[in-house]
Amino acid sequence: MKNLALGFLCLLLISSAGFTQKFITKTGHIKFFSESPMEKIEAHNHQVKAGLDVSTGDMQFIVLMKSFEFAKALMQEHFNENYVESDKFPNATFTGKVTNIKDVNTAKNGVYEALVEGKLTIHGISQQVKEKGSIEVTDGKINAKARFNILLSNYNIKIPGAVSNNISKSVEITVEMILDKLN
Amino acid sequence: MKTWHKVASLLVLTGVIAASLVFYFMYNKPHPDYENMEAAFTLSSADLYKEFTADKTKAGNKYNGKVVEVTGRLSKVEVADSLTICVFAFNQGVFGDEGMRCTMLPGYSGKAKHLQPGADLKLKGFCSGFNDTDVILDKCSFVK
Repeated sequence: MKNLALGFLCLLLISSAGFTQKFITKTGHIKFFSESPMEKIEAHNHQVKAGLDVSTGDMQFIVLMKSFEFAKALMQEHFNENYVESDKFPNATFTGKVTNIKDVNTAKNGVYEALVEGKLTIHGISQQVKEKGSIEVTDGKINAKARFNILLSNYNIKIPGAVSNNISKSVEITVEMILDKLN
Repeated sequence: MKTWHKVASLLVLTGVIAASLVFYFMYNKPHPDYENMEAAFTLSSADLYKEFTADKTKAGNKYNGKVVEVTGRLSKVEVADSLTICVFAFNQGVFGDEGMRCTMLPGYSGKAKHLQPGADLKLKGFCSGFNDTDVILDKCSFVK
């Protein structure tokens, strides 16, 4: 009886491990872009850490603000020191779910619509977000993409009056991550 | 035109040109030359990782935004898109290897790609912070 119970427990552990399918990356890409009548501002971060559990849809990512790269050094300085205050708030994070993960078949190549909901935290302020993206499955890898806009005021990011014409109040965020299956 | 008018016009014009030049050079100033910057701290990659895992806020206040020189034994080199990353792994977690990830400057990528795991390295770079599993050094170069 004891052996039977032990065998059942082992079977349970093996089967639950089988259902946990995590995909990860540490080199995800996030771009933000703002366009105003005065100038365009674009920055890239290629070191985004992200994870997606396709058995539950749980998704998270973490971004170091100091890893954003701008074409102009002055913009990068202002971004870190004045706007996102990266010494005080070094990370931005997202914790949420792909709510329709059951529609995504990671065993079959294809492009699937992804409905993403969760908590986006930037500049120490968390907001609920609900966006559409896509998940492309290619030979066991996942390419997750999304593009959406955020209002800087929702994250308490203040633009000084002197440069308010140079910086748009809304910023477009583009996310592109190729996630590998965690072995 | 009276002489003082001419002098005043010349002063205003000089001021405008000077202000424009200052703005132009400030606006277009180059990115810091991390390769030739003096490191603010020199320590082993293992010790730096330990400080961040012990207290990420305290370590962040100390190292984030600074040029840090580290030594360590290479675990692997990752190549992703245009990035070449030297990895020092000290732990295993949900996200695989955990430790320090050093993104090389383009001029050092070629050399980094040919390194073998186990190589002893000394490099420096800009500390971007800790993402709960890894300390990130950007714009890294090898130190002789």
